[in-house]
Amino acid sequence: MLEVSNLSVSYGGLRALTDVSLSVAEGQFVTVVGPNGAGKTTLFKTISGVVKPTGGKIVFMGTDLATISAAQRAHLGIAHVPEGRQVFKTLTVRENLEMGAYPETGRAKWTHTIDRIHTLFPILAERAQQLAGTLSGGEQQMVAIGRGLACAPRLLMLDEPSMGLAPAVTDTIFERISQIHKEDGVTILLVEQRVAEALELSDHGYVLETGHVVLDGPYETLLADDRVRKSYLGLT
Amino acid sequence: MDTESLIENVLNALTAGVTIGCIYGLMCIGLGLIFGIMKVVNFAQGELLMLGMFASLYLVTGGGILAFLGPNIGPFVGAILAGPIVFVVGALLHKFLISRVSGLKTAGSIDDGHFGQLIVTLGISLILQNGGMIVFGSTPFTVQTPLSSSAIEVAVGYGDATVFLNKAKLIACAVAIAVAIALYLTMEFTRIGKALRAAADNPTAATYMGIDVDKYYRMAFGMGCGITAIAGGLMATYLSFGPFVGFDYVIIMYSGVVLGGIGSIMGAFWGGLTVGFVQQFSALLLPPQLQNAMIFIVFLLIVLLRPQGLFGRSAERA
Repeated sequence: MLEVSNLSVSYGGLRALTDVSLSVAEGQFVTVVGPNGAGKTTLFKTISGVVKPTGGKIVFMGTDLATISAAQRAHLGIAHVPEGRQVFKTLTVRENLEMGAYPETGRAKWTHTIDRIHTLFPILAERAQQLAGTLSGGEQQMVAIGRGLACAPRLLMLDEPSMGLAPAVTDTIFERISQIHKEDGVTILLVEQRVAEALELSDHGYVLETGHVVLDGPYETLLADDRVRKSYLGLT
Repeated sequence: MDTESLIENVLNALTAGVTIGCIYGLMCIGLGLIFGIMKVVNFAQGELLMLGMFASLYLVTGGGILAFLGPNIGPFVGAILAGPIVFVVGALLHKFLISRVSGLKTAGSIDDGHFGQLIVTLGISLILQNGGMIVFGSTPFTVQTPLSSSAIEVAVGYGDATVFLNKAKLIACAVAIAVAIALYLTMEFTRIGKALRAAADNPTAATYMGIDVDKYYRMAFGMGCGITAIAGGLMATYLSFGPFVGFDYVIIMYSGVVLGGIGSIMGAFWGGLTVGFVQQFSALLLPPQLQNAMIFIVFLLIVLLRPQGLFGRSAERA
């Protein structure tokens, strides 16, 4: 479904990603883990088109993404739930979700998806008329995920949904992501620093360090790897 | 001054303040829309007001295509149609000039493109002023309507005190309010309005939603220019104007937008209304040359007491 090959990105001479290849098959749950500054967010931004690659190729469902604008990519069914949530603070919760449904497919399925979003996150129905900027961090993350779901995506990209949230809230968020994957059949690409929880949910994982993919494989392989056990899971 | 004429003067200042204030309000909305959505500092806004006046003039007078509507209706229809004409001018200005110094292109740069915008819009302003001088000449124009010299007289019921409601200003005020309400409804309830607000709130996230931010910014710039132009067309019915008229009003527009709270589009309307009010009331006490000075005294007072503007939010939760 998503094929990233030999992707390189530089910010003003500074290499953020070098030769990164990654593939996500339809229906898969793929996780990218790695320390701060490894290039995980850059990878997502490049897939979404707000950062231009210096080399390599990104193909989504047969379309070379270099040929279409950033705004067009959402219309193909790529939903990006960005790092730090980035909800529209001055819009109501309801309006945030409506903006998620901006692409044609989202509008066509709106009555169905809004019900689904409210089932997953009942608090969003309660807070519908409240400005998103007045919500707590956890609630804003729910808005961000709901907004991503509203376009009825084929691929849902989540950038550190646990960032800055209380552990109990994080558990809920992970549970919902797993539900979205299993029950709605949405393909998931997740970036996380909470490695243990993230890998547990996923079919395949990539370890990104200083812009390079240093390791990839199914959940079991990663879990058996000494480096992963030591650096990310704190096991010996 | 005896009580009767005092009452008469105050009531007349009040009604003039409301009517002129509403037109100022509409004019300010245009600038407020551009700044609120695109964060672009537009110094050429006064010249777009001027273009609105001339667009209306050429539509209505002489062999203008609206001449058949007659001098009572024509000027107001002309003012409204000046909107779409100047919208196109604004959208083209954005496409070829403003977009190069604003939007996603300059987001995150040291000054967010403000220095570039300042120079580009000042340049546009100068070109339009002097270009207007070449094309239109320097004799003052007006869009003639007999309504501007006729008034509805309302007896107050206290002696002979009477309130005079200038018909042209009254209709202009009604049109201004109608356009402001139409814009409010568009921004609040339509898909385009919500997408404009989303693009203003967080352009990067809006791009993730599939919103073509550059296209919406172009629309916002065109709308902002068109709305100020409508206000210009309305003012042209009671005011004589020339190519340099914009300079006086760009100051009023900025005061209105800052008073209303920077970034609040409808706040700009109330800001403009406040300015109109202060201007008309100061006429009771001060010579006309000092009316604009009074605006700035009130402006400074409000900025001192309520720095976020009358309708701006002081802070947002992160």
